[in-house]
Amino acid sequence: MSFMRLKNVDISYKLENTSVRAVRSFSCDIERGDIVGIVGESGSGKSTLALGIMRLLPPNASLSAETMLFDGRNILSFNQDELRKIRWKEISVVFQKAMNALSPVHKIFTQMYDVIIAHSPDTSKGKAYKMLTELFSKVNLPSKVLNMYPHELSGGMMQRVMITMSLIHNPKMIIFDEVTTALDVITQGQLLDEINRLVREFGLTAIIITHDIGVVNEVCNKVAVMYAGELLEFGKVKDVIFSPMHPYTKALVKSHPDLRIGNELIKGIPGSLPDLTDPPGGCIFYPRCDVRLDLCKSVKPEVSVLGDRIVKCHRIQR
Amino acid sequence: MTQILEVKKLKKYYPIKKIGRRSYVKAVDNISFSVRRGKILGILGESGCGKSTLGRVITRLEMENGGDIFFLGNNISGINYRKIKDFRQKMQVIFQNPYDSFDPRRAIIKSLEIPMKLLNIGQNRRNRIEIIMDAMERAKLTPAYDYLERYPHELSGGQLQRISMLRSMLLKPNFLVADECVSMLDVSVRAEVLNMLLQFRSELETSILFITHDISVAKYMCDRIMVIYAGKVMEIADAKELISNPMHPYTKALISYSPIISPQREKDRFTITGEVVTPIDPPAGCRFASRCPFAKEICYTEDPEMTEISPGHFAACHLID
Repeated sequence: MSFMRLKNVDISYKLENTSVRAVRSFSCDIERGDIVGIVGESGSGKSTLALGIMRLLPPNASLSAETMLFDGRNILSFNQDELRKIRWKEISVVFQKAMNALSPVHKIFTQMYDVIIAHSPDTSKGKAYKMLTELFSKVNLPSKVLNMYPHELSGGMMQRVMITMSLIHNPKMIIFDEVTTALDVITQGQLLDEINRLVREFGLTAIIITHDIGVVNEVCNKVAVMYAGELLEFGKVKDVIFSPMHPYTKALVKSHPDLRIGNELIKGIPGSLPDLTDPPGGCIFYPRCDVRLDLCKSVKPEVSVLGDRIVKCHRIQR
Repeated sequence: MTQILEVKKLKKYYPIKKIGRRSYVKAVDNISFSVRRGKILGILGESGCGKSTLGRVITRLEMENGGDIFFLGNNISGINYRKIKDFRQKMQVIFQNPYDSFDPRRAIIKSLEIPMKLLNIGQNRRNRIEIIMDAMERAKLTPAYDYLERYPHELSGGQLQRISMLRSMLLKPNFLVADECVSMLDVSVRAEVLNMLLQFRSELETSILFITHDISVAKYMCDRIMVIYAGKVMEIADAKELISNPMHPYTKALISYSPIISPQREKDRFTITGEVVTPIDPPAGCRFASRCPFAKEICYTEDPEMTEISPGHFAACHLID
């Protein structure tokens, strides 16, 4: 049994007259101990999916799915009370903008203590302080940070505070939503190294949402490639990134300049995202695909399962 | 003349008020370099290192506190850009966010035409529109008429950034400063913008100062790369040489920490600790000393000189002999 099983997850946002179908029939299985990267460009629905898993979607969004299993339980049927019990304790999430996730008028310790007593109400402040100091040392933060305010910290430090916060209750799974996006290269690298270490040390399962294939290659073992709300390819990082099968994945890899290889010409993907208020009937990538068939325009490709790999393309089935 | 721009010992200090005494953020501190005709120089650094300040001072958007800038042989230090009209044609800038660099109430055609009109390019409106249409077709922004009547908010970031590039290039500048011009774009559109810039460079022989934080992009775009840290130049070399044979510990760390897409992951990272420092009244010595794993006593007391390691490859580090 997979640790997390998502089947046909659909998420749409209601607007005044229309609705945007941000995620459409997303299915994938995540095993215990996996570090899954969800990679996609802006508007691909990757963050919406993360919010959907945490059930933190805004009120104008609607979520439906065939199955949403987490550690053997169907979280789709959970009510708010049950959800509150698993958030922070079993699944936690770290967002991109740590600045916005922390209260600017409370010291870090006060905010962390709030999270601690949410699930273990009888923890004393002294005990909490000790525990946080210990956790801080694991992410290379000095304990004096506990007595500081968010504005006194740098972006990297704030992100480390958020990661520590997500670890407080020893969750089984952490979702990292673009955690390193706004950071400098070196800070990003340091943080990725730390995430890598923590996931192993705490025996976590992690989802890393990013737009950067490089980041996926650094930390993940599996990757899901999303485009305009659909999963186009899923599998082991070494398969998907180094021998991509879907034309979109191929194009995405080709548009990244790389340090280690010679000065190969990088190629963009002409065109732009389709209108998600009325997604096209055929393959979602059809308008921008350079190996499209006539069939692709009208018929939606089925998911082909090749071992532990999923590809959604007509070219694969033939 | 091959030297388009020559910068000598440029300084830009921002005062900050503190009780009792005046402090300075030394954003650009004694930076010297030159750019040859048709070459792209990359300015590589992390946030707060002074790379954008450097671009702003060179384009005269800010005034320096010392040093000289020679542009096409003339010393332009001390001159405000408003005073030199033809200078604006010869040196152009592209910023990170194209939505901020277009007037939201002006159709694209108007935003493109006004600078041409002000600088007397093209005889009349019809002629100018022809020039614009032609340039749009060549930049593969087709069909051109489809873009011209639109407003900035109707276009995607990638399209608008390419139009902003086009707007600069219609003036046939000798020099272009591109300040993080692709950092807010998705990878799939980023490539098109970068390739368009390279195409302009080869067509017009424009020299480019390419400011970026992304070493992979710098490697793809630039002929030479200058690495700066806390307002000082750490290393400067030809792009290939810098990536394959970095000498300065900071450059080594930058390369080692940047994510790569290659099956051979480098097992041993060149690790450094700490975070970027802001050069507020920096003490003597190397700015990188506090984070450098090899720092010796001399690194905290004496400023390292730029030394030539091999032809064209300079680095400022005490540990290189």
